[in-house]
Formats: sequence, structure tokens, C-alpha cells
Amino acid sequence: MPKMYDTPLLDELEKGPWPSFVKEIKKCAAKNDMAADELGLLEKSYKTKIGYWKHGGIVGVRGYGGGVIGRYCSIPEEFPGVAHFHTVRINQPSAWFYTTDALRTICDIWDKYGSGLTNFHGSTGDMILLGTRTEALEDIFAELSSRGWDLGGSGSAMRTPSCCVGPARCEWANIDTLELCYQLTQEFQDELHRPAWPYKFKIKIAGCACDCVAAIARADCSIIGTWKGDIKINQDEVRNYVKNGFDIQKWVIDMCPTECMSWDGSTLTIDNANCNRCMHCISKMTKALKPGDEKGATICIGSKAPIVVGALLSWVIVPFIKVEKPYDEIKDLVRKMTEWWDENGKPRERIGEVIERVGMRSFLEYIGVPPQPQQVKEPRRDPFWFFTEEDIEKIKAKEAEEKKTGVYKF
Amino acid sequence: MDTETIKNKIFEILEKAKGKKKLKEKDVIRIASEELNVEKDDVKKVLRDLIEEGKLCYSYTGGASSVEIPSEEYLREKGMIK
Repeated sequence: MPKMYDTPLLDELEKGPWPSFVKEIKKCAAKNDMAADELGLLEKSYKTKIGYWKHGGIVGVRGYGGGVIGRYCSIPEEFPGVAHFHTVRINQPSAWFYTTDALRTICDIWDKYGSGLTNFHGSTGDMILLGTRTEALEDIFAELSSRGWDLGGSGSAMRTPSCCVGPARCEWANIDTLELCYQLTQEFQDELHRPAWPYKFKIKIAGCACDCVAAIARADCSIIGTWKGDIKINQDEVRNYVKNGFDIQKWVIDMCPTECMSWDGSTLTIDNANCNRCMHCISKMTKALKPGDEKGATICIGSKAPIVVGALLSWVIVPFIKVEKPYDEIKDLVRKMTEWWDENGKPRERIGEVIERVGMRSFLEYIGVPPQPQQVKEPRRDPFWFFTEEDIEKIKAKEAEEKKTGVYKF
Repeated sequence: MDTETIKNKIFEILEKAKGKKKLKEKDVIRIASEELNVEKDDVKKVLRDLIEEGKLCYSYTGGASSVEIPSEEYLREKGMIK
């Protein structure tokens, strides 16, 4: 029978209308020593306002450098159940589709070897199994592997790629996010399991600019579905929306970020050349508006949360790329991006930070993408375009030619 | 160059760095390749074999990973030695 602790402070968090993590830990604690001590340790932390966890070190399964995050309690003599309390990350299937049977299998393994506590899902997207001992890791890995599961990424590695539900459940998906996510996961297995880079590298794939996986804010490489050409308008459906009380001016026209739409009382007009494909109008009038037919993706680079330096949002690198099997173009691009970063990055420096330090020019030259207007993030403020000696020679030669001939080229 | 020489060099590099500097996989490959004048891919292959065998392992501090020689205590915890 696990040791039971008095937890007056944690008990407060069971009150109220919402599901409580305390309630769930207590359920586990009734049958598991690790979960019981986890509860006791947390109550002590609440009382003393001190954290008692240490993390990192050499913890993993043989051959892998990621997937297990070592966690130890700093007062194991008081809470022996959580002396080791390692986290195991499991590579989730694309868009987090599981059968109930698969989930039962995972839970059975975790009840057998771990605390029984889980997080569904971690912010990278993996299934997170909370709390196990070092000596159980190889057995957990063997059991998971034999049932077709694999560990996710951690440390200075490619993190488990993740994607939105895409065409499996969403009419707005411009690309097959699930297949692309699966193929990238397979392609970068070595990078995922054997951390060799300066720091983490995340890939997230969203089917459209609604960006349900928040790729633009969280992924070093954000792949976001988009289209070329005009938004398809069904004017009859637009009029139906208005007839049924939809305030098109207030909710769509006035909220268009590029002000490229107008409504004259009977017809909706879109200046497609100025549309930035944000999806706002399409998501507000799903029956009336649809993306254009030529589908693909925009690839952005560099977003991250504030760890070493401040938070960054992703930056457009490739405005439009076709997303077609076997996705060689995208795989090659990701490889080139990571090679450049690996060559130039300092320890714990994310790719977005290296671009800010070294310069966008060097990055674009290495990955072989030409400079394009869509890459300008902040007009008149981007300090990343530097002239080389070679450029200056070319400019001087052009000016001399113009002076000599009297013909000016713009 | 024979595998044993590369293995010994890798251990020598890691022993030297022990307690002073955390070396990434890439650092070990670069140093060994330069000192032995062999291709980086050859060093990488030997390094990976050592990791597969459990003679070396990845370590993790503050989000950054490095390669280390595992301690006896760790090998005992893992049940790899008695």
C-alpha cells in the first residue's frame, strides 16, 4: 500500500468546476508508490516554495541520445519513490490519431514500469510518460518497440515533427500534413535519435494559415499550407450569409489585414494580388469562399520561445513550394538549413538566432534560395542585407558603363 | 586506418575533456578526424558503434546534448555491469 500524505494545499486545487491534476495524481497514488511520493513532494514544494527536482545527465536507452529526460529528486531519502522520476517521450502518430487499443497498450506498459502518470501531449507533440526509474528504461523501450512505437526527440536533436489534423478532418487543408509529417519523421530518424546539433530543431506542419499547430510561433521550420491564384467566391452563398444576418462589413471586410476586400451590398470583390492568404475570410464564410486550386506551402524559419534570447516568430523563406510525394525538395531544403546552422551555430543557439547574428544573406546563399520580396519581414528595418565586395564591384562597373554610354539601367 | 585506433582516439579525447568541457558528437568527430587525418564519416561510424554498444553514451544538460564515457554507477543502474 503506497504511503499517503496529508495534502491540504493541493486539496484546494481539487475544488471548482474544472478537472484537476491533483485528483488524477491522487487516483494514481492510491496504487503506485511513485505517484504517492510525487504528491507528497509537490505538497512540500507548495509549503516551502522550493522546487526539489534536478534534471539532465546521462539517462537514455542504448544507442539513442533522445527520448528520455532524466529527472531526479534532490531529497530522495524523504521521497524514495521519486528518487528517479524520468520522463519518456513517445513519437506520436501524425496529427495524434490513435485507436483506443493503442492507448490501452501504452497505458498498460506505463502502469507496469512507471508512475502511471502521463501528459497528452507535450508541447512538441510527443506523448509524455511521467516518472520511471533508470533500470526500467531498456525494458520500457523494448516493450514499446515491439508494439511499433518509438521514442521522440529531445536534447540537441531534431524534435519529433508534428502536424495539424490536415485533410483527415479539415476542409481547409491545402496540403497533406499527415503524410508529409510521417515522411519527414522517417527521413530524419538519425537526426531525431542522435543529437548532434547545437540545439533543438522543430518542424511543424499546418495545413493552412489558421495554423492550428502554432507552427509560426513554435517551430524552427514552419511549413504552412497555402495556395496560388484567386480565392474562389460563391456570390450566392455570400448573399445568403448577409441575408441571414452575417455582418460582412464588420466581421470580414474591416478585419482583412491587407484591406483587399470590398462589399457593395450585392457583390464581394477581392483584390487577390494584395491578399496575404491569412484565411480569415475563408474561415468566417466557409460556404462562400474557398482557397484557389494551385495548392502548396510557405516555408518559414526561425521561431522559438525565449530561452537564451527573446522569442522570435517565423520568417518567410520560401513563399511557395509544391508539396508532392516523395517530398524531396522539402527534405533537401531542411537538410541544407540544418547543415548551415550546424556549421555556424554556437552551443544552445537556435537557427533563428544564428540568422540574426550571421545574416540572412549567408543563410539564403547556402540553402540556394534567391532573395525575394516576400522575405522582407520589416520593410526599411531589416538589417540583414549586406553588400559584399563583389556586389560593390558590380555596382561600380554598372555605374561606369551607364556614365560612358549615357544609358541608365534601373 | 583501423577501427581500434579511431576508438582509442575517441576515448582519449573524451577522457581529456572529462570534467572540463562537454563535447558534442560533432566536436569529437572533428577533433579525431583532424588528429588522425581520417574522414569525418569514418570517425562518425566508429563513434556510433561505440554508442550502440553502450561504451559511450549521450548526456544532456540544459537542453544541449554531449557525448560521454558512462560512469560505473550509471552502467550498474542500467544493469549493464554487476
